[in-house]
Amino acid sequence: MSKHRNHRAAGLVCLALCAASLLAPSCQRPREIISRPPANRHTPYSYVGRRAMVVAAHPLAVKAGLEMLRRGGNAVDGAIATAAALNAAEPFASGIGGGGFMIIHLAREKRTTVVNFREKAPHLASPRMFKDKGEKEKEWRASSGLAVAVPGALAGWDLALRKYGKRTLAEALAGAIAIAEQGFAVSPTFSSINRDEYERLVKNLPEGSCYLNAGLPYEPGDRFRNPDLARTLRLIASSGVKEFYQGEIGRKLVAAVQAKGGIMTSEDLASYKALELEPLQGSYKDVTILTAPPPASGGLHLIQFLNVIERWPVRTWGQNSVPYVHHLSEALRFIFADRERYLGDPDFVSVPVHWLISRDYAAGIVSRVRDDRPLESYPFGEYKQEEKDAANTTHLCVLDRDGNIVALTQSINDFFGTGIVPEGTGFLLNDHMDDFAADEQSVNAPGPGHRPMSSMGPLILFRSGRPFLALGSPGGPRIFSSLTQIVLNVTEFGMGLDEAIEAPRFFSFSSGGKPGPIAVEARFPGEVLTALRAMGQEVEVREAYDKYFGGAQGIMVLRDKKIVLGGADSRRDGVGAGY
Amino acid sequence: MKKECVGSFILLWLSIALLTIPARPQETAGIFEQPLLITSAGQNAEVQIAAVLAKRAGLNYTLSKQATAADLENMKTLVIVLGASLKGLGAAGLDMGKERERVMALITAAQKTQVPLLCLHLGGEVRRGRQTDDLIAEVLPLAKMVIVVKSGNGDRFFTKLCQPKNIPLIEVEKTADVQIPLQKAFK
Repeated sequence: MSKHRNHRAAGLVCLALCAASLLAPSCQRPREIISRPPANRHTPYSYVGRRAMVVAAHPLAVKAGLEMLRRGGNAVDGAIATAAALNAAEPFASGIGGGGFMIIHLAREKRTTVVNFREKAPHLASPRMFKDKGEKEKEWRASSGLAVAVPGALAGWDLALRKYGKRTLAEALAGAIAIAEQGFAVSPTFSSINRDEYERLVKNLPEGSCYLNAGLPYEPGDRFRNPDLARTLRLIASSGVKEFYQGEIGRKLVAAVQAKGGIMTSEDLASYKALELEPLQGSYKDVTILTAPPPASGGLHLIQFLNVIERWPVRTWGQNSVPYVHHLSEALRFIFADRERYLGDPDFVSVPVHWLISRDYAAGIVSRVRDDRPLESYPFGEYKQEEKDAANTTHLCVLDRDGNIVALTQSINDFFGTGIVPEGTGFLLNDHMDDFAADEQSVNAPGPGHRPMSSMGPLILFRSGRPFLALGSPGGPRIFSSLTQIVLNVTEFGMGLDEAIEAPRFFSFSSGGKPGPIAVEARFPGEVLTALRAMGQEVEVREAYDKYFGGAQGIMVLRDKKIVLGGADSRRDGVGAGY
Repeated sequence: MKKECVGSFILLWLSIALLTIPARPQETAGIFEQPLLITSAGQNAEVQIAAVLAKRAGLNYTLSKQATAADLENMKTLVIVLGASLKGLGAAGLDMGKERERVMALITAAQKTQVPLLCLHLGGEVRRGRQTDDLIAEVLPLAKMVIVVKSGNGDRFFTKLCQPKNIPLIEVEKTADVQIPLQKAFK
């Protein structure tokens, strides 16, 4: 399943066989379509299936999810098996020490629901808890016990399985346990992230931790094993999630947090509950969008962004043309101003969701954007640019043979989270308290039991009432911008799914009312960048395929062709498999 | 016509002869003195790894990610870990222009006080790219010795910069392998 292997010819043969099998009567048991991606990992390549598909950021996680589907599990079972396997195979991006959101579409019931398993602040949290640390604020926010919010992943997985799955948590964890025990060869992505986060890891990891290789970062090809995580997951599989929230694992978790200056208590952990929510709905032309509502902000801003874009002739302008990049960047700057001003935990603050995603509001933004140059200010709020530019988090999608779909985004925030591992447990603790605003007056200031605003935005898009695209991405505040560009690449520019994912991306924002630069991947044509600069836009050129812009995964259902396509981002180690 | 042919033949012969003359073995052991100041050029994460390797090698070092001339006081060697990281630059509130200025000012100060420069590139292939390469091309010719992780020199970029200046270049397979030549390089 690796994108690195050169089996182009075999892939073509397999695709030809697949096409032939589609013409034949399809009464037999579905066979797996062996997709062989091209040697160049960045070459657009869609994984093909007839009825089921799993896409995720690591081949072993995809394998675990697909195995679950093959054994009769549904999309929810497959998604949780994949999510758990990512904890073992891509431990730097998500895991049981973190949280997230998933959107589930139940085909038979024609119903879509959201599970919010975002972490919560401990009950001793307060708006000034980081501010009071003075110059050391940044460090406390990201790599101390104070940075750790109460993890929600296991509660969310458990809720989804009990309510919508067909398999037990123990069955869903089996793949992850095997990966953690047997290990795998580290990819260049893993290695480079491990190296980039080395300083924090050295600070917080105990000697001999598996997250470093004899005290140094892993290099590509080195074997990574995590027997402690295997033991932890096995214990949870046998005793249930209460072992994590109220048992020995929980006690170790709280002890680790407190030893590093944190304020989490056993009561915080024991009282954690995942929530089921109604999805947030929006539309773009003939497409209906269902996504996770606040405190997830990715989907809301995507809807807001598309409402604005709907008023512009983007197809005429052309993908990544000068007017396209200019206008969309201007809109992003307005949206970031709103984001800082209005987004917080709806359990504690009033978020004007329907106003923000109204078309009237979008019209207001459109009327302010100039065609010929950037504005001098974007006066709605203040988005503080993050000094770090991590593209952490992970996203997966699963489609089962009955048409059920799950899009799940989960995270431990920064890569490797805080770098804190509860003794002997093998899992990393999140630093999601850093997602609270620094400004104590902000609607997103830390508070007891508050969930920090999240940039996540798992989506399912529908046409004529039927799902046709599940999508999501990591990438912090760039998530909704990247997802919007992928949606436009598909709906406006006629691209295939992976072509849409791999296409060059850009991003902009505003800070304190002033425009930030337009960050672009180095694949943008020089003449576009020259023209943007001539308009007065500041342009920042990043790597050709930069994980700064996320690592999107998606599944597209092509009903007319009776196939499903999986798209997985080569900016990270995304892969897919289907049958 | 005949004269031109003879001339060309002589030139060719001289070129081959020059290329085949065995180069004088380059000294790579005991050429630097302690204490050493370790800093990065490009705010990469590898500077921290270099410090750990120096510690393991038992060297007397000081790590300063944004070292200036003032940090060179009492130092006998300057170690620069090469590689631009947008993430690291962002976290430090720097851009490449400012970082280049800092690094070149530091090297100039080191040259004035005759503190030799040892360059390391530990990031392999992924820590290359235009910004890194531009900086390396400027800094490397000023080094007394260079140690690189092999995958970063797959295109012989470092070799091409070191050879004309006769700068000793040591290639190692893995980052951890840097420790031994680093240790040997110091008295």
